[in-house]
Amino acid sequence: MKLTAAELKAGYEARTVLDGLSLEVPPGRLTVIVGPNACGKSTLLRTLARLLKPRGGAVLLDGQSIHELPPRQVAQRLGVLPQAPLVPEGLSVSDLVSRGRQPYQRWWQQWSKEDEAAVAEAMRDADVADLAERPVESLSGGQRQRVWIAMALAQQTEALLLDEPTTYLDLAHQVEVLGLMRRLQRGGRTVVAVLHDLNQAARYADHIVAMRDGSIAAEGAPPDVFTESLVREVFGLDCVIARCPVSGAPQVVPK
Amino acid sequence: MRYAVLVLVLCAAVVASVSLGDIAVPPMDVLQSLLFGGGEYDLVVRELRWPRTLLAAVGGAALAIGGALIQSVTRNPLASPDIIGITQGAGLAATIALTTGIVSVAPAATAGGLLAAAAVFAFGGAQTSRRFVLAGVAIAFALRAGIEIVLTSAETLDAQRAQIWLIGSLNGRGFEEAAPIGVVLALTMAPLAWAAWALRTTSLDDDVARGIGVRPVARRYGLAALGVVIAATATAQIGAVDFVALVAPQLAQRLSKRERPPIVASALIGATLVVFADLLGRRLLAPTQLPAGVLTAALGAPYLVYLLLKRRRA
Repeated sequence: MKLTAAELKAGYEARTVLDGLSLEVPPGRLTVIVGPNACGKSTLLRTLARLLKPRGGAVLLDGQSIHELPPRQVAQRLGVLPQAPLVPEGLSVSDLVSRGRQPYQRWWQQWSKEDEAAVAEAMRDADVADLAERPVESLSGGQRQRVWIAMALAQQTEALLLDEPTTYLDLAHQVEVLGLMRRLQRGGRTVVAVLHDLNQAARYADHIVAMRDGSIAAEGAPPDVFTESLVREVFGLDCVIARCPVSGAPQVVPK
Repeated sequence: MRYAVLVLVLCAAVVASVSLGDIAVPPMDVLQSLLFGGGEYDLVVRELRWPRTLLAAVGGAALAIGGALIQSVTRNPLASPDIIGITQGAGLAATIALTTGIVSVAPAATAGGLLAAAAVFAFGGAQTSRRFVLAGVAIAFALRAGIEIVLTSAETLDAQRAQIWLIGSLNGRGFEEAAPIGVVLALTMAPLAWAAWALRTTSLDDDVARGIGVRPVARRYGLAALGVVIAATATAQIGAVDFVALVAPQLAQRLSKRERPPIVASALIGATLVVFADLLGRRLLAPTQLPAGVLTAALGAPYLVYLLLKRRRA
C-alpha cells in the first residue's frame, strides 16, 4: 500500500497552512511527523486521513485520490485516531470498538461472525480485552487512547494515522501507546503519527518528517534528521545531540 | 425481554383505555369485541373508544420516534419537536386554517411544521447541536407570538376552536386522523430501519465518524429530516401533545442503557404515554374531558425538571 501526498494545499478558512506539500509515506514503517506548534503537522495528518478536504493537490492511495473514493472504501484501508476525541457517554468499550466495523456494514445486514472476530482481535491487539464491558468514560486517559486505537484496528486497515496520540497522557501511558504503535508496525501496518516529544519521536520512529511553516524541512531516519543544526533551524533551539542509553537513538538535549 | 415488557404495558394501557368510561366494559369483553366482534359492547368499544385509543397510540409512537431521531442527531435531550418550533409551526398554520377557513387544518399544519423545521435547519444548520437548538427555540418563540396575534384578531368562536387544537385533544378524533400517521409510518419503515442502524454513529465526534467512513453532516440531515416528517405528521393530526417527544425517548434511553434513544422502545413508550394521558384526561374530572396535551404537559414538566437537576449534579 502506498500513501502519498502530491502538491497538497490545505488550510482553514482564510488561512493557508500547507502550500504545495509532497510526501511519500514509507510503507510498513512507523513515520513520525514533528515540528513546532502551528507548523501544519496536524493539518497534514488530517488531510492524509481525509478529515480535511484539500484545496489543491491530492492524497493518493495506490495512485487513487482518497477524496474522490467513497468514504467507506477509504475507511477499509486507512484507520484514523483524531486528536482528543470526545468520549460518548454510556458506551462500553466493546460497543465503541464495534463502531470500527462501520465501513464493512450495511444497514440491511446483520452483525456477522467476521465482525465479531475483528472486534475481538482489535481489543486483544490494543490490550483492552479485559475492559470490554466497562463504560469508556470510566477509563483512564491511557486506557481510553488504547480503546480508540482498538476501534481503528477493528477497521482492519493497512495504515493507521494518529494525531498526537500521547498528548494529555502521563509518561507511563505515553510509553504504553508508543509501544503499541511499534507493535502494530511490526505486525505489518503502515503507521503515521504526529508527536510533540522529539526524543520519543527519535526513539520510536523509523522515519521522521520534520515540518516548519507548512512545508517539510527535513525527512529521513532519526539520526539523519536530529542534528544540532537542523533542530536549531526547525525549532529555533540550541541543543546537543546525545545518545539514548537504552536504544542508542539520538536524543535532543537543550543547551 | 425488555421489549416484551413494553409491549405488554402498552397493551394493558390500550385495554384499560377502551374498557374504562361512563359505561365500563370488562377487559375480557374488550378483547372479545376487538378481536371477534358481535357482542353487546361493539358500539362502545369499536365505534367510540377504539378509534380514539388507536389514534393516541399511533400518534404517541410517531411523536416519540420524531423526538428520538432529533434528540440523537443534536445529541441534546431538549431538542424535541415541541421545543425547536415544529409543533409551533404546525400550530400557527392550524390556527390560521381554523380562523380563516381558507385551507383544511391537517395539511396546513403538516406544511407549517415542515416549514418551521426548514427554517430551523436554514438558520441553525446541523453542524453544531447548540446552534441548532438555539435557532429552534428562537423560531418556536417567534411562531408562538404569531399564534397569539392570529388568535387575538380572530372571532371568539374560531379562536376557541383553535385553542382546543393547540392544546392537543383526541376528543372526537379517530381513524380519520390515525390513517395519515399510519401511512407515513408504513412508508418510512425502510428509512427507519436505516435510521436505527445509522444512529450508531451520531454520538461520535465528526472526525471519528469520518475516520470510519461516515459522512456525518449528510447523515445528520437525513436522520433529522426523517424525524421532522414523522413528528410534523403526528402533530398535524393530534395537535400539540406536549412533552411526549421529549420524555418518551429519554425514558427509552434510560431503560435500554444506551448512549442514544432506541427507536422501537421510544415508539412503544410514546404510544403508552399518550394512551394513558388520554385515558386520565377522560376520567380524572369526568364528565369534563381534559385534553391529552394538558396531561402530558402536567406529567412531562416535572420530569423535565428532574432531568435538569440530575444533569446539574452529574
